[in-house]
Amino acid sequence: MALNGAFSHLVVECSDLERSEAFYRDVIGLDVLGRNLVADNRPNSLLAMNTRQRLLLVEVDDVPSYPASGGSIHHAWLLTIEQFKQARDRLEATGYESGIDPRQSFRAVGEYNMDIHDPDGNRFQIQAFGEEGTEALRSGTGTVVMGHIDDFPVGSVTPYRKGRFFLVREDAGFLAISSWCTHKNGITIWQKESWHFYCPFHGAKFDRTGCYHGRMGCAPMRLNPVQVDGAGRVVVDTDRFFAREAYGPEQAVPARPGAQFDPAGLTELPARDEKETRESARMEG
Amino acid sequence: MAGVESISHSGICVHDLKAAEDFYCKILGATVHSRVNFKTQDALRGRSVHTSLMLDDYLFAVMLTEDWMDVPPPETLRGENRVRHAFCVPKGRFGGILDQLRAGGVPFEGPVSHPQHGPFGESVYFRDPTGNFLEVLWRRDEDAIYNEVQPLGHGGGG
Repeated sequence: MALNGAFSHLVVECSDLERSEAFYRDVIGLDVLGRNLVADNRPNSLLAMNTRQRLLLVEVDDVPSYPASGGSIHHAWLLTIEQFKQARDRLEATGYESGIDPRQSFRAVGEYNMDIHDPDGNRFQIQAFGEEGTEALRSGTGTVVMGHIDDFPVGSVTPYRKGRFFLVREDAGFLAISSWCTHKNGITIWQKESWHFYCPFHGAKFDRTGCYHGRMGCAPMRLNPVQVDGAGRVVVDTDRFFAREAYGPEQAVPARPGAQFDPAGLTELPARDEKETRESARMEG
Repeated sequence: MAGVESISHSGICVHDLKAAEDFYCKILGATVHSRVNFKTQDALRGRSVHTSLMLDDYLFAVMLTEDWMDVPPPETLRGENRVRHAFCVPKGRFGGILDQLRAGGVPFEGPVSHPQHGPFGESVYFRDPTGNFLEVLWRRDEDAIYNEVQPLGHGGGG
């Protein structure tokens, strides 16, 4: 069975309805729809987001305590980037510290987050996702000479962290797979024991050819062009990115001197500079 | 216009991950979105083990941690224990949901009718195996046009 419905509302207990209503209206930015609109004999207030989702505050005598180790229980508001900036301004104007993200190092490029607690200690994330979260990002390392073709046996996966790619040697030849996750620009890692690329930011997994397996609907990881020069050295261009719909052996560059990357059937993507993007995000967020 | 579009996900704590997965997936029809930090190296690094479940358009990061709270007695079917998550279904499906809860052996309270002047129609209340409170309802505003809920930006990693 499935519900075949949608999330409707979150009910949150509070110890002071007036105070919490003001917090969710003035700090979080919800619209107050009215008091006592639901069948509940406790004082309550219903607040609206722009979607169908609602927040229902109910006043109780005692809000249960979280354990001292608490912190895992949380809820996440999803905002547009513009709403996020306005929320940051509201937080500052009302005396809350903004820009507090205890997991900043965990965020993907383009992922903005602030953590905030309501007056009764419930933890909320305030999140927004910028368009740079799905764009190709140049590492700034340019063209990289990786080594001789014989240095990379068939089946090998060689990470080059600075250049944000993995050099994969298939039977058909070499692939330079961009390590940016196609979900939300997290940086994937190679989990050798599981034979897959894994994005620790949101959990996406990709096979050794960079193809996604799972329910998140991610496109295959992008390719950086590879060539093998006349001396048999494998050269990767980290400034260019190609999207693909699936893996085909023709994408691999044969392991012989002079072999070139063939972009036929692939889509070259515009790319922006990773460092500039990160700095811009810091200033904006 | 409000300054917030939606709530994209919640992190909840459970005592038994398998029981929670069975309940949300087999009884309520959720799907497993991802399993996070299930590897030994994750445990050694103290990362929280959790399963991300999609229930309709909402993501629960279901965490096996020691952060769970004292749980109200099992006969308490309607409550919050701080929060309750409510899911709406079309009015025409509401009766079927009650049948499905009964078939799944899930005790519930209700249906409870809400005031005519509010947006909610009728609700039933129940809880997951740990005691996290849930609600299913139909809404009087089910034909109203609101902004579309955008797909969540992440898989529940926090």
